[in-house]
Amino acid sequence: MAKRVAIVSVGMDRFKGRKIETIEEMVYKVTKDALNRAKLPPEAVEAVAYGSAVDGFTGTNAAEKGAIGGANARLKPTMRSCTSGSTAISSPILGYYHVASGLHHIVMSVCFEKMSECRPHAQHVFNTCYDEHFVRPIGLNVPIQCGLEARRFLQRYGHTELQMAKVSVKNHGNALDNPYAQRGKRVTTDDVMSSPYISWPVKIMDTSPTTDGARAVIFASQDVIHEITDDPVWVKGVGHCGDSVWFMGRRNSDLGRLDYAYKAAQEAYEMAGVREPSKEIDVAEVYDPFTFKEMQHVEALGLCPEGGAGRMIDEGISLREGKLPVNPSGGLIGEGNPIGAGMSRLCWAWLQVKGQAGGCQVKKEVNTAVCNGWGGMYQYNAVMVIGRA
Amino acid sequence: MEKPVEQINLKGSIQIHYEWTAGIAGSRFFQELRDHKRIMGTKCPKCNRVMVPPRIFCEECFIDAPEWVEVSSGGELVTFGESYLGTDGAMLEKPWILGIVKLDGADGGLVHFIGEAEPNDLKLGMRMEAVFNDKRNGNILDIRYFRPAKSD
Repeated sequence: MAKRVAIVSVGMDRFKGRKIETIEEMVYKVTKDALNRAKLPPEAVEAVAYGSAVDGFTGTNAAEKGAIGGANARLKPTMRSCTSGSTAISSPILGYYHVASGLHHIVMSVCFEKMSECRPHAQHVFNTCYDEHFVRPIGLNVPIQCGLEARRFLQRYGHTELQMAKVSVKNHGNALDNPYAQRGKRVTTDDVMSSPYISWPVKIMDTSPTTDGARAVIFASQDVIHEITDDPVWVKGVGHCGDSVWFMGRRNSDLGRLDYAYKAAQEAYEMAGVREPSKEIDVAEVYDPFTFKEMQHVEALGLCPEGGAGRMIDEGISLREGKLPVNPSGGLIGEGNPIGAGMSRLCWAWLQVKGQAGGCQVKKEVNTAVCNGWGGMYQYNAVMVIGRA
Repeated sequence: MEKPVEQINLKGSIQIHYEWTAGIAGSRFFQELRDHKRIMGTKCPKCNRVMVPPRIFCEECFIDAPEWVEVSSGGELVTFGESYLGTDGAMLEKPWILGIVKLDGADGGLVHFIGEAEPNDLKLGMRMEAVFNDKRNGNILDIRYFRPAKSD
């Protein structure tokens, strides 16, 4: 029988387009912040689960070894989760496993990414994620794969570019109140709609920036939780999976529908005992590297009916003051998108449940929150549900 | 307030060259493409789906898929994307177009260049056909691009 696992702290630091800090320095700062927040001594953490999506960004393979010192992980068990963008949540799932197994009492997940170091641009690294046999010679890249997928998504459900633009306005605006955000700003749908296309229907202002940053999360077992806090926020459910890399030939699958995200969400909700997510989830921090990704994810996470993402933003349901706020922190679009350190979605979900989200705090009681991560060549999803009781 | 540290940047580069095997299925696929301008798939003996690009196994049934079948070089445009962004991250004046074409006789398809068309000429579901290169080297670029079908 798995142990119950609570999240007792998060470690935050400002996201930036280019940080002077090395990986070790970034990791040190968020580790220190997480330990301070929980009033835990460094030696309390027994093991560390790292998360970083792609080594190519820094040009140093097995880059997690650079985080050992900063995470206070010398001579401790460490592992790295590396599932592309979904590392953001698969890394904390790995940390959760360590404690749920009963083998450790207190474990930290720490995620980091420095995307500013490769020249001339991180896009070069993304290009190396494709196979040389059938795809890379054609020059497929992330922007154009967005076009392939978003075009199917809009065609399938009738969503519009204007609805995508509204997500951009919401997330940029929400980030204004996020002290760790790279680019909170007041923008209009006209600004978004008139920004240049990277690949129809996706425009520059539908995208998240490249970012340097790190995040930490500390997990504790039911056996020691009473020594740390009397208000534990439990990991209620986890789910993750990956679909085939052969996105051209997935069976029974349309590029516009993320079957793997529906599956990961279903697993997490079953474990959490959540039957009607749109009613039982109080706030969501979903993976939004592009506006249409937030729309796909709110549908896959059951926060609205399938095909209902357009209505959700049109009716203001997902605004911070709405009935079911989505990315009240600003998400990856507003806060910044240091791929693996997109674990910030979990950190913000936790801050919301704790009532410590400051200017980003939603105007309603929060007991249950969901977050997810997405990545690969459009195939991975990882979901975590957290909450009280 | 402490004086900010001057940020020192260190420059370097990594150059590594590779020679990838095309695999069991890929080698046969590229050989047929090079020598006969044929697009080949493998067929699952259980669920009968025809995989293009070919695989030596069916990942649905998880059994060997040893039978090879020729599929059409024409098919249906599943989706396409035009890119205004070069691989170096710079904005481009004129977009280039990629699409996924589901080939007749196959359950999968190929992602490839779309040629002889502007984005406005394209509709999801329209008929497409492959144009092969005269000089072929045994790789995916032996197909020059897919274009809107001129016949049927």
